[in-house]
Amino acid sequence: MNTEIAEQKRVVRGSLFQRHENLTVLAIFIGFVIIIVALQLMMGGGHRFPTFISPVNLLNILQQVGVPGIVAVGMTIVMISGGIDLSVGMLASLVSIVTATGISKWHLGVGASILAGIMTAVVLETVMGYIISRTKVEPFIITLGGMITFQGIALLLCNSREVIMRGELDFLKANLIRGAKDPVSGLNLIIPPYVLIFFVIALLGGLLLNYTKYGRRIYAVGTNPHAAYLAGINVRNMKLSVYVIMGFLVGIGAVMLLARVNTGIITLGQGLEIDSIAMVVIGGTALKGGKGNIVGTLIGVFFLGSIGNAMNMLRLPSEVQFVAKGLVVIIAVTAGDVSAKVSEFLSRRKEVHWRRTMGGEGRAGINKIVKSSQTR
Amino acid sequence: MTQILQLRNISKTFPGVLALQNISFDLDEGEVHCLCGENGAGKSTLIKILSGAYQPDEGGEILFDGRSVVLNPHLAMKMGIQTIYQEHIVFENLNITENIFTGSEISTRGILQKDEMRKRTVEVLKYLKSDLSPEMKMGELTSGEQKTVEIAKGLVFKRRVIILDEPTASFSAIEIENLLEIIRTIKNSGLGIIYISHHLEEVFKIGDRITVLRDGRKVSSYRFDGLTKTTLIKDMVGRDPSTFYRRESVPIGEVVFEARNVSGNGAKNISFVLRRGEILGIAGMTGSGRSELMNVLFGSARLDFGEILIHGKIVKHSTPKAAIKSKMCFITEDRQNTGLFLPQTIAQNVTIANLMNTKGFVARQTDDVRIGDGFVRRLGIKAKDSQTRVMNLSGGNQQKVVLAKWFNTNGEIFIFDEPTLGIDVGAKQEIYKVMVELLKEGKAIIMVSSDMPEVISMSDRVIVMKNGERMGELTGEEVSEENILTYSIGDKAI
Repeated sequence: MNTEIAEQKRVVRGSLFQRHENLTVLAIFIGFVIIIVALQLMMGGGHRFPTFISPVNLLNILQQVGVPGIVAVGMTIVMISGGIDLSVGMLASLVSIVTATGISKWHLGVGASILAGIMTAVVLETVMGYIISRTKVEPFIITLGGMITFQGIALLLCNSREVIMRGELDFLKANLIRGAKDPVSGLNLIIPPYVLIFFVIALLGGLLLNYTKYGRRIYAVGTNPHAAYLAGINVRNMKLSVYVIMGFLVGIGAVMLLARVNTGIITLGQGLEIDSIAMVVIGGTALKGGKGNIVGTLIGVFFLGSIGNAMNMLRLPSEVQFVAKGLVVIIAVTAGDVSAKVSEFLSRRKEVHWRRTMGGEGRAGINKIVKSSQTR
Repeated sequence: MTQILQLRNISKTFPGVLALQNISFDLDEGEVHCLCGENGAGKSTLIKILSGAYQPDEGGEILFDGRSVVLNPHLAMKMGIQTIYQEHIVFENLNITENIFTGSEISTRGILQKDEMRKRTVEVLKYLKSDLSPEMKMGELTSGEQKTVEIAKGLVFKRRVIILDEPTASFSAIEIENLLEIIRTIKNSGLGIIYISHHLEEVFKIGDRITVLRDGRKVSSYRFDGLTKTTLIKDMVGRDPSTFYRRESVPIGEVVFEARNVSGNGAKNISFVLRRGEILGIAGMTGSGRSELMNVLFGSARLDFGEILIHGKIVKHSTPKAAIKSKMCFITEDRQNTGLFLPQTIAQNVTIANLMNTKGFVARQTDDVRIGDGFVRRLGIKAKDSQTRVMNLSGGNQQKVVLAKWFNTNGEIFIFDEPTLGIDVGAKQEIYKVMVELLKEGKAIIMVSSDMPEVISMSDRVIVMKNGERMGELTGEEVSEENILTYSIGDKAI
């Protein structure tokens, strides 16, 4: 009976999208880009270069997704381990306020202030990770509580006001390729350091998950914590560690955000948790853990980041981008399932056809297939 | 006495397995009819047919009140057949009344009649002489009390037949007496009861008739007058010896593992030794505390009392990690939930337990694949290569992946919990061969098994457990079906 099912599954597995995990969402993304470019070409009568894929705009998108991207890398690791973190947005706001206050009120100096901000995030995430790994309470609830708490701490710290700096962090948004011009529009091209930092973190995250023992164990813990425990893995410390990493990345991301706007303010991290979770799930990471990878997350980051930009290019009202973002999330996560169902249907039809033409067991054979798939 | 239920020539085949063969069985009003047999004799299948969960093969017939019926779960319930399974299926956050009436609420025009439902619950609880109050939350009750509630449900809905599957597993002695008393009460009100139990004492106290099953066949059926336990046990054994696997014998060496008065997780005061090149079988009925003991030995459950010695040195395993460090391996019973990472590849599954033994931080995929492919070849795992995902493998091949995972840790003391559960005959033999290979390499094996031929043909010695206790140890010629059964279901003294 088992072998029979195994064979059936093997047939089902034939779908191209299932064999290469990231292909589904990549295909949708490319489709999206093609549609936008086509629309722009039509609107411009085919004479103007589509601004959506002009170098200056692509770099623009990169600057917008840099910070959510850094957080999304952490979120990928957390979610592969079977957790989730709703607190990242408010934690980023808190970090920005701590850092900005450190620089402009406490006069700690730039380096020490940045360190204080990052350490705040690491310590708070460690506390949450400790509670999550030592109790059976859902990470969803703990981090929800964390989110509200961090908001309160941040507001207390800044007396519900914004903390304005005098550009002390401007070195983080200096242009690394000064003088480079866009061949299409002639505008200045800008790559700030934090975009590079995002790529470095994504690369390190990918290496960590794919090529280290630690990464393997994260997947194991997310797939089947009980089996992981019996295989000698310290499941509790693994769960704790992913939140520590998350804290470090949120800390870095928040400092980057602060550098962009030059003001520590509670709204800075607003919606960061929604965006980063959306990016990660678009990239194919499963909410129940054990599945996902950084490449998928990168696709999710660029995809979600380019939607708002594309809407601007098409001169659509900004409200539309929420609808578009929401639909993309839904389409991206259901597409894999739909393609599996379609290929299952096709392979079953093929098999039925095969049995009919071969004579053989005829109708009874078909019934048997249907029945055995129902009993499972 | 009128007959409620009659089964004629019921058979049930699953692909490759004949689970029931020409079973005839009947049940009268006001009667307790017991079902007995080893693990896997076909009792569960028979219950599932009666509750409508399985359809019997063509050719058999089920008569209810003399009329032929085709049962499905809904119809079985409607006609008044209620099955009370070993595992409670309850809503822990709801109270007793709500548990009884969920799904069959009394209401008029959509409004629940809470008083009416409560009144009926109180009536029945009173009839059962129970001191439970209908407002108590189900989750706060002991398993004995939960069973009472399930029986009360049967009475509230005026069921005709109640099937009890191993009702007293994990019961205290007082709870068992209470349950038997309740069964006597409801029996007198004219219900037919089918009672399944491994505990012969209970069966003798409560039963009117008993039917013995073996390997899916009905062996005998008795009234209890003058019946002895020995007769029953004789009926339950008696397999053809040619069906047993013949294994090579391997020279036995020094003691490598010892348990001294180990207690915890339900195991009580267990002592034994294990020698190099030896298979120590642990036999007993389902629920006798064997797997629980193994978890204690492996550090995945708490050791309350006693000592574990490896190579003569006392070890303290508070986690599986520590046990693996002292070269222990644990092939669990439920491989899909506790042994495998199903969505991952063979290579990833094989290398996961060994990660801690390898030095360094980097895990090279090429190494994993090399190791994985090596085991695919060595154990004959039927897969294209080690990049195949484990969920796409059959049961036997999944089990080989579990074995490969542990071989890769270079363990020396192997615990096999039900090594061939749900595996076809061919794959079984291959796993037996692998086990003998291990012995030849000087390893030692503790094997928990409910498969009687497996215990007898593979073990050098057998320890029999019951209710978490060690009932006896059998060696050489003593290892027989009859002796194992006598220890595992009867009294210690027979």
